[in-house]
Amino acid sequence: MLKRTSLLKRLFILCCGKGRHQLLRTSLFCIFLSLLAGTILLLLLDKNPLEAYTSILQGAGILPKGRYAGRKSQLTDFMSLLNYTTPMVFAALSVAVALKCGIFNICVSGIMVFSGFMATVFVGYSNLDPILAKVLVVLIGALSGALVGILIGYLKHRFNMNEVVVAIMLNYIISYVVSFFIQTRFIDPITRQSVAVGQNARLTLFDHPVGNLKMEIALVFPLALLAVFAIKFMLDRTRFGFELKAVGSNSKASKYAGIHVGKAVVFTMLISGSLAGLAGVSYYLGSNASIQPRVLPSLGFDAIAVALLGNTTTIGSFFASLLVMVFDCGTTYMSSRMQVLREIAALIISILLLFSAIGIFFRNLADRYQQEAEAV
Amino acid sequence: MNTIIIEGLSFSLPLFIIAIGGIYSEGSGITNLALEGLLGFGAFFGGLSYAVLSRSFTGDPTTLIYASLGFAMIGGALLALLHALMCIKFKANQVISGVVINMLSVALTAFLANQINASFFGQPSNKFLLEVFPKTTIPLLSNIPILGAVFTDFYTFELIIVIVALFMAYLLYKTPTGMHIRACGDNPHALAAAGGNVQKVRFWSVIASGALSGLGGMCFAYSISTTFSPNIYMGFGYLAIAAYIFGSWKIGPTFLACILFGFARSGGYVLVQKLKLPSSYGDLVLTLPYIVTLVLLLFFSSANKPPRALGEVYDQAKR
Amino acid sequence: MENLVEFRHITKRFPGIVANDDISLAVRKGEILAILGENGAGKSTLMSMLFGMYAPDEGELYVRGRQENITSPLVANSLNIGMVHQHFMLVENQTITENIIMGIEPKRRKFGLFPVVDLEASHEKVHQLSLNYQLEVNPRDKIEDVPVSTRQRVEILKMLYRNAEILIFDEPTAVLTPQEIESLLQTIKALRDGGKTIILITHKLDEIKRIADRCAILCKGKLVDVLDVATTSIQHMSALMVGRDVSFTLEKEEHERGAEVLRVENVSVLSLDHITTVDSVSFSVHEGEILAIAGVSGNGQVEIADAIAGLIPVKSGNIILSGNDITNASVRKRIEAGLSYIPEDRHAVGLILDFPLKENLCLKQYYRPPYSNERGILQHEAMAELGRSLIEEFDIRTSKGNDTLVRSMSGGNQQKAIIAREINLDSKLIIFVQPTRGLDVGAIESIHMRINKLRSEGKAILLISLELDEIMQLSDTILVMYNGKVQTIKRANELTKLQVGEYMMGVHVEKN
Repeated sequence: MLKRTSLLKRLFILCCGKGRHQLLRTSLFCIFLSLLAGTILLLLLDKNPLEAYTSILQGAGILPKGRYAGRKSQLTDFMSLLNYTTPMVFAALSVAVALKCGIFNICVSGIMVFSGFMATVFVGYSNLDPILAKVLVVLIGALSGALVGILIGYLKHRFNMNEVVVAIMLNYIISYVVSFFIQTRFIDPITRQSVAVGQNARLTLFDHPVGNLKMEIALVFPLALLAVFAIKFMLDRTRFGFELKAVGSNSKASKYAGIHVGKAVVFTMLISGSLAGLAGVSYYLGSNASIQPRVLPSLGFDAIAVALLGNTTTIGSFFASLLVMVFDCGTTYMSSRMQVLREIAALIISILLLFSAIGIFFRNLADRYQQEAEAV
Repeated sequence: MNTIIIEGLSFSLPLFIIAIGGIYSEGSGITNLALEGLLGFGAFFGGLSYAVLSRSFTGDPTTLIYASLGFAMIGGALLALLHALMCIKFKANQVISGVVINMLSVALTAFLANQINASFFGQPSNKFLLEVFPKTTIPLLSNIPILGAVFTDFYTFELIIVIVALFMAYLLYKTPTGMHIRACGDNPHALAAAGGNVQKVRFWSVIASGALSGLGGMCFAYSISTTFSPNIYMGFGYLAIAAYIFGSWKIGPTFLACILFGFARSGGYVLVQKLKLPSSYGDLVLTLPYIVTLVLLLFFSSANKPPRALGEVYDQAKR
Repeated sequence: MENLVEFRHITKRFPGIVANDDISLAVRKGEILAILGENGAGKSTLMSMLFGMYAPDEGELYVRGRQENITSPLVANSLNIGMVHQHFMLVENQTITENIIMGIEPKRRKFGLFPVVDLEASHEKVHQLSLNYQLEVNPRDKIEDVPVSTRQRVEILKMLYRNAEILIFDEPTAVLTPQEIESLLQTIKALRDGGKTIILITHKLDEIKRIADRCAILCKGKLVDVLDVATTSIQHMSALMVGRDVSFTLEKEEHERGAEVLRVENVSVLSLDHITTVDSVSFSVHEGEILAIAGVSGNGQVEIADAIAGLIPVKSGNIILSGNDITNASVRKRIEAGLSYIPEDRHAVGLILDFPLKENLCLKQYYRPPYSNERGILQHEAMAELGRSLIEEFDIRTSKGNDTLVRSMSGGNQQKAIIAREINLDSKLIIFVQPTRGLDVGAIESIHMRINKLRSEGKAILLISLELDEIMQLSDTILVMYNGKVQTIKRANELTKLQVGEYMMGVHVEKN
């Protein structure tokens, strides 16, 4: 028995212990644990977990399905996955950038509603030329997000207000005010949501014919990819990135070193806010076309945990977004095929995030075991 | 006027008890953004217990109603157990743990409500129907002009909340237990040096916050919709956070904040009705508490003192 | 004499270090036993085990002849063991009484039903206790409103309230003035004469000489010797503590001071709570001069340093550096104008612990060529170059050189890194605040030599320290602050240590 435990411990050290890629290994370990939890859940529901996971991957376009409806294929599924992933990538990046500067941006949801609403009102109902409209949507999204971001950064810096509290208040103020305008001006009486925006303004092309397929094309997905690398470059290589990380690690020492802390905070929130704004427009004028009043998109909150799962690195956030959205998208197919409730997707995702929140505990535990092993 | 007071109180008091939950957790040094999730899960558990029990129970239905409040407290405490483990045992970031628990709560209740309704009650639904909570009026006291409305036509759970709140205030400010909780939030090492068990005190404080949130959540479920449904996640937990920040982590001022929020809400609704505005103007009314809190923080943030050790992971070796 | 406490073959390991190595030591009833050793010698660890905060890895503890398993402070309390920690363990927003009775609160029943803490009776009891031992406190004051010396009295009362017989003091004089130290030493003596047994952890030899009966010397986790204080010389004790002979004198070359570098004119500073922490202070520092500011902790010395460095705003007055008015200049402007600053708190201010060493060494220059180009792109190679040369020049010991996380370095090497960075700026003015706090004797010596060398090179040096010995040893000019005001400025050779102490207490006030 004793030997067995020590074997388990050694395996655990291998997963989360010190060494190369410790963060990555821990994340993978957390993913493994949540898949394990999902397996138990599925077994309890009397479903075959292997089949379930396979169909999730099939639904997300990672694996081929048995058969496809007309003009659909694995590629269309995968393109649709990218379409849904795009806002999540922006949102997770927004959270990650702010966290690097020591700011907890819990306002992503509110900013998404705000930027989505602004773009919808100013461009969504116009009949501008499609290219111009789309460019404008992106600009308005980034700009309105940046505005809210700056406000949070300024309040934090100037009045020393806790950004989490400010963000919570702003989330609800935005949600209710936008809801008020939608319900008084832009309501669609049938769907009880805002009137859908025109195709010219949408950032996703729906049922776009490519060859003999009809697929969804997320026009801003390349922009999201670009953002990943741009932010990575900024953090690793630029003067501002150095200042941002310094402030995030120790703001007192940064001030002492001559860094303008307030400027760094406000500027970081500008970046974080505009990323959240882009998440908003690619969500409300991309994968969706209308805004549901009084509802804060859960994606904005999920993004916090997604960024965490990606160890608040840019590349990590990207892959974590992809992973979470694979679950999200794939589960629709899985639930219809296996008669499992669709809600199980959210459940597995939150279990995944729960484990990633205690990743630091796993690392510390592994370090301790490692020391014990070395001491003996 | 009467409507404002009656409606206002029926909203303020559940909010107040949730905020007290927050004060217990944060007063002991554990940041608790999970109130929203805790109240929702509590209401789910209470609603579920009511739905299950009402099928076999043949006695007086009001007994069940009161019992469901107790179950809601258990439910809230169960989820709070997770937050306590995450923050205390696993040393997770407390803010992140709170956010994740809110997500988990939404996902879990949605999944379980659907699954249970489908598997056991044979109907596709994400709701549990509840009874109307009994209301009462106190004779004589209710005849007092204006203030009488306080004693008129109120849900009996309000009385329960008042009693529980008084007890929690007594416990926090008058007993050794309360002294230890507050010490944990200020300097946990002091308590440890005096022989107290910081982890244990914090653990039970978080559990208490769960139980109180569960109670508040269940009361909201009864008073607002007489069902449990995912609509319970309307941000009341976050509003409770605003309330105790407004009240500077003290029970007395927090009570005033809750009353203010409740009356602003009911007053706003009455105003919207009186002016014959469309109901969507109610949304603007709903922003009031948040704006008030924001403005207050803007001007008085220096007077607003959170517990000194709030959010700090307690590590015996680090001193 | 009866042995009250016995440590038998105690060993305690922490990750990567043996804090106590096979220590056997007896404490006799009614004595004052000093535990002497450098920082990191394992004094506090040993006593923390007696107080139940750690468990020993090996060995046994005997109290009153019985083997005891002291698993928590609660157990220690029940064995009548009390401890005053170096960092006070007090709840700031509660009253003195509440702090003293914590954990063993007397209760009464309100309305004969609800148990409540009996605060009234406790206030009275604490008051009586403070009279009995002449440790004056007002039981109703909140801790956050009382000064350090009162807080220490509260800690002592806390032990006495618990009927402690064995009292452990961990570096109790570190934060006090000479006069306060005097009164504390008298208190400790009185407690001994009243029958208590005292264990005094310290690295100050003169205090040991004055009150201790015996002295146990620890060096690098090992017990070196236990000596009878009356028959041992200070030099012998210190040699045992450090593990070699140490010279106590510093060669100071006599030379005329040069031109004025820093002038501070009537500077006042307000705290966040709008309390005047620095009150119309004026002085100037010249090339080749070490001006030291003495004062009890919290009398505005650190604030004046922060104000000069631009970390906190000045309410009124002027600060002139090399002829430039920098009163309202940004921190960076001041650095560029020729200001280096070694701050009091290495971890919170001086370093970014989660950054690698090279980035910390470049922390004040990263933004300018050659460390970043005009488009704002960092030049990592240039940074690494700087790092390598400073590591070499200042003998910074690391595990991975440039890429070592500063968090993983020892305190002495962290301080070396800060000093290397600041000296590398080649500023005219260098401010040192508590430069040797928490370092061992070897490191202290090398920093003192470094400061002395900078003086010879003609730098203007502002030294702020709580260690009077350090000030007496290094300074040319001494400025004493009390309550935010300048008490006196005099040439160092015109003042004795005791006189400085009197100024620090605010006993003398001098108009200048």
